[in-house]
Amino acid sequence: MPRNSNKSNLELTGNWFIDAGILGFVNLMEEVYGWDLNTLQKKIKEDEELIYYEYFPFAYLFYHSKIRTFYNEIQTLRKEIFGQEGINQKIAKIKNEINKLNSSISSSVNEKEKIEKKLKKAEEKLKLLEEKRENKFREIENIREQLNKIKIKFVKQAYQVKTIDEKTLNSLFPDFELKLPAIARNFYLFNSKEVRKNPTLAYKYLLFLCQKKYKELSELIRKINPKSKKAKGGLTYEICPDSTINPFLHSPIEFPNISYTKPLKIAQIEEILDSTLPIYISLLCFEQAFDFYYEKDIRRNIFFYTNNLQFCYKVNKRMRIKKEIAMRKSDRHSLFHLTFSAILDELIEHKCSFSLENMYIVEYEGIENQKLANVEYIGIPKLQASVLLDDYLREILNTSLQIKEKNFKGNKNIWLLEEFIKGKPLYPLAIQHIKLKLTGDIQQINYSIFYALLIDAAILEFKERQKQKETFSLFSKSFFQANYREILKKVKIEFRKLYYHSISETKRLIPDDDTRKRLGYLLLDSLYGNDKVRFLNILLKAVNSSKENINPEFLDLIFEKIVKNGKIWQRYALFLVAGMISDK
Amino acid sequence: MSENKKAFWIFKFGKWEEKLDLSGLKEAAKESFENESDSYKQKLVYDLLEATKNKDQNRFFYLLLKAINKPKEAKFKELWEKLNQNYDILPQEAFVNFAYSIIIGIMSTYNKGQQENK
Repeated sequence: MPRNSNKSNLELTGNWFIDAGILGFVNLMEEVYGWDLNTLQKKIKEDEELIYYEYFPFAYLFYHSKIRTFYNEIQTLRKEIFGQEGINQKIAKIKNEINKLNSSISSSVNEKEKIEKKLKKAEEKLKLLEEKRENKFREIENIREQLNKIKIKFVKQAYQVKTIDEKTLNSLFPDFELKLPAIARNFYLFNSKEVRKNPTLAYKYLLFLCQKKYKELSELIRKINPKSKKAKGGLTYEICPDSTINPFLHSPIEFPNISYTKPLKIAQIEEILDSTLPIYISLLCFEQAFDFYYEKDIRRNIFFYTNNLQFCYKVNKRMRIKKEIAMRKSDRHSLFHLTFSAILDELIEHKCSFSLENMYIVEYEGIENQKLANVEYIGIPKLQASVLLDDYLREILNTSLQIKEKNFKGNKNIWLLEEFIKGKPLYPLAIQHIKLKLTGDIQQINYSIFYALLIDAAILEFKERQKQKETFSLFSKSFFQANYREILKKVKIEFRKLYYHSISETKRLIPDDDTRKRLGYLLLDSLYGNDKVRFLNILLKAVNSSKENINPEFLDLIFEKIVKNGKIWQRYALFLVAGMISDK
Repeated sequence: MSENKKAFWIFKFGKWEEKLDLSGLKEAAKESFENESDSYKQKLVYDLLEATKNKDQNRFFYLLLKAINKPKEAKFKELWEKLNQNYDILPQEAFVNFAYSIIIGIMSTYNKGQQENK
């Protein structure tokens, strides 16, 4: 295929769906041949046809015949460890039981012996389970080693291939049989009995498909089995891709009227996207872009996307490494935490704001009968992205915040940064956290909530101003011109002033701890009711009856931030309450 | 607060859109009550706060007008003028902001420490 040599560098197109496939292609090549992105780029520059039409089909067929068999074995072992009622869950249960028994030993003297016996039994059980888990891990390692050996052998042979004929393909793929992937159900490559077990036919089909040689492709299908449905029906998704090869695409059966809108042909898509990679490669590799994670025993497939291949590749790779480490430690980090700690690590190194403002996380739970379950796309708003780029504010928000009482069964904490990135308001979380301080569920107020409240206020204020300035449109002038740095600067300056007054001035005016706590309850109550009059009345009465001098600056602050403020006064009011009841 | 940075409370009443100059009100209240004794102001503020809490405009203005009804003292002149411009039956939300601006204005003139020293 004649291609412009200047364009041979592998790049993303800006269309996330195709780009996921491009990343999937990079991942597949790395998985099989061990080439990282840079090496692959180099090899493509040297000879792209060799990579696309020889190494890629080999890798694809090897992956779907051999590697996936091994992966299935690994996955069943993993399920036994991490899945529902798996070893990990059992271990957690026993650990809980041991903790309970330990605490009851000291309280009950009469049944001490009985409890000790139970404890011994539980500990033995725990030991056994831990051993079992270790064994499973070892088994996984063994399978991996075996796979590695086979892979090395395959790669060695693949490098030495000079002419592609039946003999070489048969020796390259001994005991060849393609495993049907969840993502492609009625795809001829996996569906046809003849092709599925024959490496030569499979290779030819794949090659003609990627090269868009439709005439040869039809002939091949007819030659394989002239009576088959496919041979009679002719080429369909090979020319206009649909949900047969990827469930994210339209289904011609469920949406028959889509044909009236003329779905795009492969050649048209290639022309529009100006991609150097044959589009069918991208469509076939889509699944490899996603990595799966178990969260709350549910398998979730996730892919991080931004329109820069290097960044995209590195973040996804980092995520995978972090996942492996977390899994080994049986550390149950939230999926979002894993994703964003990977992104943040990368960010700290490269500071690419452009990528951050244009990133998405695409996730689906599974594919059943060629239908997707629970697909979610998370984008990051520009404003939030600018806050993330500020080292100091990002570190402040990168904290776990307790929002549920001591006895709450389940996760008491939330990750503040996660809520922020998702664009949720932080005020309701801050109010819950401060309430815990008043009820004695926490010892100290988390310092981060002071900043969280101001950032929340700044964002709301900014949005309000934008709304007033012009009639709302997604890409208004302000979207490009707004000076986000100014907002961050304002938050930091405001913090200094407010923090001092809310901490020291309130304590000077109301020195008694109990009075301040009682006042905190009342003020929080009025905030729950969103009652500005009541809040100001309680606060000003308390200040008015103080024996100390009132700092006029403190009153100015109340006037500026609460009295004058129409819609976001609650954020500043809560800031004041937090300062008032904090121990600092 | 600098002069060119004034706070306004906008409220709509019938066809008319009115503006309340909150910072102006606060500054006028500050100037008027600067030389009054702290205990007098403390009592007045307490009563004004009660009236505001009950959203009782009649009581609030009765107390305020009674306190500034001193024709011989020129310092109240600005507040009289401000009230002359703004006084009306205000919508509830506008009244609350109006009231708190005056209350905070009075409160920022407390100078208990200095008085005790004298």
